[in-house]
Amino acid sequence: MSISGKESIGSMGIDTPLAVLSKKPQLVYNYFKQLFAQVTNPPLDGIREEIITDTSLSLGKGYNIFDVIEEHSISLNINNPIISNEDLDKIKYINHEKFKSRSLECLYEFKKGHNGIEEALDEIVLKIERFVDEGINIIILSDRKVSKKMAPIPILLACSFVHQTMINRKKRSKFGIIIESAEPREPHHFSMLFGYGASAINPYLVNEIISYHHKTGYIKGISLESAIANFNDAIAKGILKVMNKIGISTLNSYRGSQIFEALGLKTNFINKYFKNTPTRIEGVGLYVLEKEISQRVKFAFNSEPDFSSIKTGGEYRWRRDGENHMLNPNTISKLQDSVKTENYSSYKEYSELINKQEEQLMTIRGLLKFVDYNPIPIEEVEPWTEIVKRFKTGAMSYGSISKEAHENLAIAMNRIGGKSNSGEGGEDFERFKKDENGDSRNSSIKQVASGRFGVSSYYLTNADEIQIKMAQGAKPGEGGQLPGPKVNPLIAKVRNSTPYVGLISPPPHHDIYSIEDLAQLIFDLKNANRDARINVKLVSEVGVGTIAAGVAKAKADVILISGYDGGTGASPLTSLKHAGLPWELGLAEAQQTLVLNNLRSRVVLECDGQLKTGRDVAIACLLGAEEFGFSTAPLVASGCIMMRACHLNTCPVGIATQDPELRKNFKGKPEHVINFMYFVAQELREIMANLGFRTVEEMIGQSQKLQAKKGVEDYKVKGINLDKILYKPVSNNTYNYRNTETQDHNLKKVLDFKILKESKLSINKKIKTYLDFKIKNTDRSVGAILSNEISKLHGEKGLPRETLNLTFNGSAGQSFGAFAVKGLKMTVFGNTNDYFGKGLSGGILSVRIPKKSTFESEKNIITGNVALYGAISGEAYINGIAGERFCVRNSGSKAVVEGIGDHGCEYMTGGIVLVLGNIGRNFGAGMSGGIAYIYKNEQFSETEFNMEMIDLESINNQDEDIISNMLENHFSYTNSKIAKMILSDWVKEKYNFIKVMPKEYKIALEKIAQEKINELIK
Amino acid sequence: MGKVKGFKEYKRIDEKYIPVRKRLKNYKEFTIPPKEAELNSQAARCMDCGVPFCHSGCPLGNLIPDFNDLVYNNNWKEALDTLHSTNNFPEFTGRLCPAPCEASCVLGIIDPPVSIELIEKQIVERGFEENWIIPKIPVKRTGKKIAIIGSGPAGLAASQQLNSVGHSVTVFERDNKIGGLLRYGIPDFKLEKNIIDRRIDILVQEGIKFECNIEVGKNMKIKDLEDNFDAILLCIGSSIKRELDIPGDKLSGVIQAMDFLTHNNKYVDGQIDEHINKYDAKGKNVIVIGGGDTGSDCIGTSNRHGAKSVTNFELAEKPSTERLSKNPWPHWPFTLKSSSSHKEGVEREWSILTKEFIGDKNNSIKNLVTVNVEFNQEKNQFVEIPNSKKVWDCDLVILALGFTGPEKKLPKELNVTLDKKGNISANSIYQTKKNNIFTAGDCRRGQSLIVWAISEGREASYHVDKYLMGSSNLSRKNTFGDL
Repeated sequence: MSISGKESIGSMGIDTPLAVLSKKPQLVYNYFKQLFAQVTNPPLDGIREEIITDTSLSLGKGYNIFDVIEEHSISLNINNPIISNEDLDKIKYINHEKFKSRSLECLYEFKKGHNGIEEALDEIVLKIERFVDEGINIIILSDRKVSKKMAPIPILLACSFVHQTMINRKKRSKFGIIIESAEPREPHHFSMLFGYGASAINPYLVNEIISYHHKTGYIKGISLESAIANFNDAIAKGILKVMNKIGISTLNSYRGSQIFEALGLKTNFINKYFKNTPTRIEGVGLYVLEKEISQRVKFAFNSEPDFSSIKTGGEYRWRRDGENHMLNPNTISKLQDSVKTENYSSYKEYSELINKQEEQLMTIRGLLKFVDYNPIPIEEVEPWTEIVKRFKTGAMSYGSISKEAHENLAIAMNRIGGKSNSGEGGEDFERFKKDENGDSRNSSIKQVASGRFGVSSYYLTNADEIQIKMAQGAKPGEGGQLPGPKVNPLIAKVRNSTPYVGLISPPPHHDIYSIEDLAQLIFDLKNANRDARINVKLVSEVGVGTIAAGVAKAKADVILISGYDGGTGASPLTSLKHAGLPWELGLAEAQQTLVLNNLRSRVVLECDGQLKTGRDVAIACLLGAEEFGFSTAPLVASGCIMMRACHLNTCPVGIATQDPELRKNFKGKPEHVINFMYFVAQELREIMANLGFRTVEEMIGQSQKLQAKKGVEDYKVKGINLDKILYKPVSNNTYNYRNTETQDHNLKKVLDFKILKESKLSINKKIKTYLDFKIKNTDRSVGAILSNEISKLHGEKGLPRETLNLTFNGSAGQSFGAFAVKGLKMTVFGNTNDYFGKGLSGGILSVRIPKKSTFESEKNIITGNVALYGAISGEAYINGIAGERFCVRNSGSKAVVEGIGDHGCEYMTGGIVLVLGNIGRNFGAGMSGGIAYIYKNEQFSETEFNMEMIDLESINNQDEDIISNMLENHFSYTNSKIAKMILSDWVKEKYNFIKVMPKEYKIALEKIAQEKINELIK
Repeated sequence: MGKVKGFKEYKRIDEKYIPVRKRLKNYKEFTIPPKEAELNSQAARCMDCGVPFCHSGCPLGNLIPDFNDLVYNNNWKEALDTLHSTNNFPEFTGRLCPAPCEASCVLGIIDPPVSIELIEKQIVERGFEENWIIPKIPVKRTGKKIAIIGSGPAGLAASQQLNSVGHSVTVFERDNKIGGLLRYGIPDFKLEKNIIDRRIDILVQEGIKFECNIEVGKNMKIKDLEDNFDAILLCIGSSIKRELDIPGDKLSGVIQAMDFLTHNNKYVDGQIDEHINKYDAKGKNVIVIGGGDTGSDCIGTSNRHGAKSVTNFELAEKPSTERLSKNPWPHWPFTLKSSSSHKEGVEREWSILTKEFIGDKNNSIKNLVTVNVEFNQEKNQFVEIPNSKKVWDCDLVILALGFTGPEKKLPKELNVTLDKKGNISANSIYQTKKNNIFTAGDCRRGQSLIVWAISEGREASYHVDKYLMGSSNLSRKNTFGDL
């Protein structure tokens, strides 16, 4: 961090014990998980939308924000509230009438144990109150003077206690808290301190570590000051991400927000120190936390003060003396041996190691046991071939993993009737056809994520299930990035992008800001493929039950609850470990909420997140899941050795890499994955036979067959209470505990069916047809079903240009022209709502002012927000102004518009956009490809652009041709006055155009051109 | 950590050797240390695995990725500290260990593994060169007295561990010099004896007492031992040599490898002026029976004596050069291994069983009769191949057949029990039947590798310390998740 100024990245999820189960002493922070937004009030992108974020904080006394008084201006403003030792000194010794600071030691008498902490904290609060009454307005909480006798109070505990007590005493706004502590070092630590009231933090020990590494030469090439500043910047970026995932844009509003869930802390402890923070499974309190401090203090003061006695920790990379991992040399080699040699007993050794957590508890399910045995002969249990139909492999994109590994999973799952997942990033159309030997490399589940890469009508048509990823376990609330070097020509092809140009997936789906929006996307996708189930992927956290209920009402067919610990891709370490909760909690909450609200019967519940054995599946099933996803384990079966280098492109076994040399090392076979699935099903069958279930169906939601293990006398574990997880709603009316019906998607009334009737000849025989229809705003997703039918018949090629020409009169509903394919031409006289041209797949759309209207099109909004989101190809002509986020993630369509709102062309990777009027703020943020041309009118200002990834250039001859061509089209499709005006004076007007060129795109285009020349020379 | 693409950039290099002709002229070590830059790039080949199998493959749990990164970054001092944190004597393991770490190195799946042992050795040699390895004298003494019987690697490791936390440690050795097998079992060309002395000097300065020429139960009373020490740790090794009970085994010229090697080491050390004829291979046709490391040491020694010919017999069939599917990574590979001694000249015979030794009229070995064998899966044993009898000329037969366990006299006198295999029996905390007597090393686990000996010594130390003090801060190895 101090070298690069960036957060550290990791991969392959988390397989270490929860803090409350760990035998290693844990910091208080580890007992809390970050919450994040999914569906409603979505996460935001603080990097690309920096204009709305702020990490500065002010110190000093606060005043009533409704009073307009000059005192508001009396505050110390800190740009980055992670401060250096020098900055802390400046505040400590401030000499100013309006600012007075006082430092307090957050230490307790070691020998007094937890009573010592309570006493010390009471005293601290008393002192602070006195200081504040005396007019002190900056309080520094410090653990600098730690000694053998005086141990540090966990600084988070002190901070939160002071914060909450002073709120109760109505004096909190009179002062700011500064933390001077050796404790915080990870973004999560800092986020929590701010979340519980701190205003600035000086991590002095980190500074000392950096200076040590600077001295020994590990950090080289930069000054010590900049190394420390880099670290502080990296933390600030990390905090920004933590805030952003819950949709908060300024640190000022994040401070004191307490957006965390406790995992493994007692209610009475939470009520005293972290009031109003949810905690659901009880656990430890101050007594145990003090025991953990005491272990650290003893270690610190008893061991020799040399480097070698400092343990590596083994949190992120396995070490013998570090934290335990479920995937370790033993389990990995046992699993690999078993699938290679088809040896079930070797698998059983593996699953014993994972399941039997007596030596070291790892997971919540490790605390559960099966009860109420009612054994039946195993022959009576449904066969494994039926069970594996409920198994899926997780969403791993081709891009994050190699072609070989990706196709291997698909072949395996198709052979056994399970489902593999495309992951975000499209799929090579070649894979939609069967191989000569009968194998299919087609992923049954096609994912639709925020980046919408390769999400075309044809792609969706080839799905059995379409998964909307609202969040992912490894980094809920965050987007992703595929760096340029990983985007080889093949990946670029399936993602409809330009080779070597980096691709960004935004944190939110820009067409989902509310549950209604999600319902709309579900409807769009259902239209795009009526035979596919729509699956919505959520991540476990408190409140996921309510979200799941909303998603069920929004007509999802399947709801997936992911655990926080899964995740095969790259993710910031902070998110990997600290964001989201285990699936046991989320699944139970979703099941209970759905059952109680009579929604359970409508949806299928799915569960994933470090599922590794038949026992894991059995527990998920009893808690309510009917389908099960696996990612890490099948990868290990295919040869993954948990390198945890997925983000580095150096996977030596050819799985998580695009390096052609390394890909050759992939030795996995479909049989390995099949063997794993078979073994898991077999183990599950044995459990079913013991419990007396003949089918998985009978077993779903029967949580009375589970009980917390008794007699676990571990001093940390004994306080845990799992009643909330095991609760099974019972009533006199019969509840449904599983899926028994299908959702009614209300497709009957869709306008497309009317159109289909009249366009059969056109679609089947490619006969040019012209049809007119009236349209109203309840006609949503018009064109998606038509496109689906055309894709079924004609594949990606669609129909010849302008074969089926549809004219609509009226006000079109949302998602007009969604996924419209080649050969379709759809024109609206009137206006269109949000999501116009979503996922446009080759069709030509135009929206123009009604023939009789007289208003000036370039001054009036004619289409809603988020038009052409994820458009892949085709053309759009908009005879008026579009709303915000125009052409977000456009990867190939050409669009002409007469003005747009904020955030235009965000994350765009290809295509051409011509704007003939105003652009809103933050144009071109995260735009890595494609070109935009802007007509400079009198309001034009260069400050509206986000210049991080783009250059502004003047146009050349080639550009002139492109622009004039597009203008001519625009005029001919919409009769646009402004187009006519510009064309009529082209020689002069052409100088009013400016070109927006992404930097990376330019370099990539040059590289591709050079490659072509090289080929020609060859 | 590490260099992200280092493994793609650099090829493995191994230690280079002085040419055979030159090195056979003496008993000195013959390796040529690589250049610093070469070592940096060898360390850069380490991939910093999420699950470093090497770290599990190493019985000591050496922090291999960590020291590789430090060497890559040229931070040798810290690399040395890291190495020493799990291994008391890297200079021994760096020379003698068969490197199970390299066998389980993840890079080994696709390429030759990282040259971990080479790096280990160079770290510690650099440490001695730079005088970084200095005695760490304990600040406080506990007043507890511990006797360690046996000064092989297990005893030495334990002595340093226990001394480091302030106990007063005395090591008793029945031989005239410290080191056990290291001193008299390993030839100088693999481990020059000043390497041991160099380390013993440190241990002595740290406060450990060494008593040579003391054999407990012989010239020291059992009672004195038991009365004068708070705890006793038995590290007496596995020293009963396996015999070959066939006709002619008492002929002169049929000798045990350990006698041969000990004699030679004393000769090199100047304790003996000239070779005794019995142990002299000069001009003789030598047959070494046993294909293990000791056998290999005998081959090297015979060649240095100037043997006329050296032949090596191994009962098992010749292993393949590549891993077989039933023997996959990360497990120890049962593949053909050729040591530096093999490369100095030997005929290796496989699937061969010695049936009889035939003497001349002076009762000296003259011929040796063998048959070929093959392994029968059903019977789970070797069976003779009919008509494969062969008679060999030979003047010296060296038996390198391994060891069967510790000598029984001392355990018996101390009244501790033995297990079924004849090793000293101990519970999971290395404690014998008697609370104050602990045991570690080959005498507990049976003959094994030097890394295991050091590991045993370290683990037992933890428990001895805990026994004496109620708790211990000595580091120990967590085996959760181990291969």
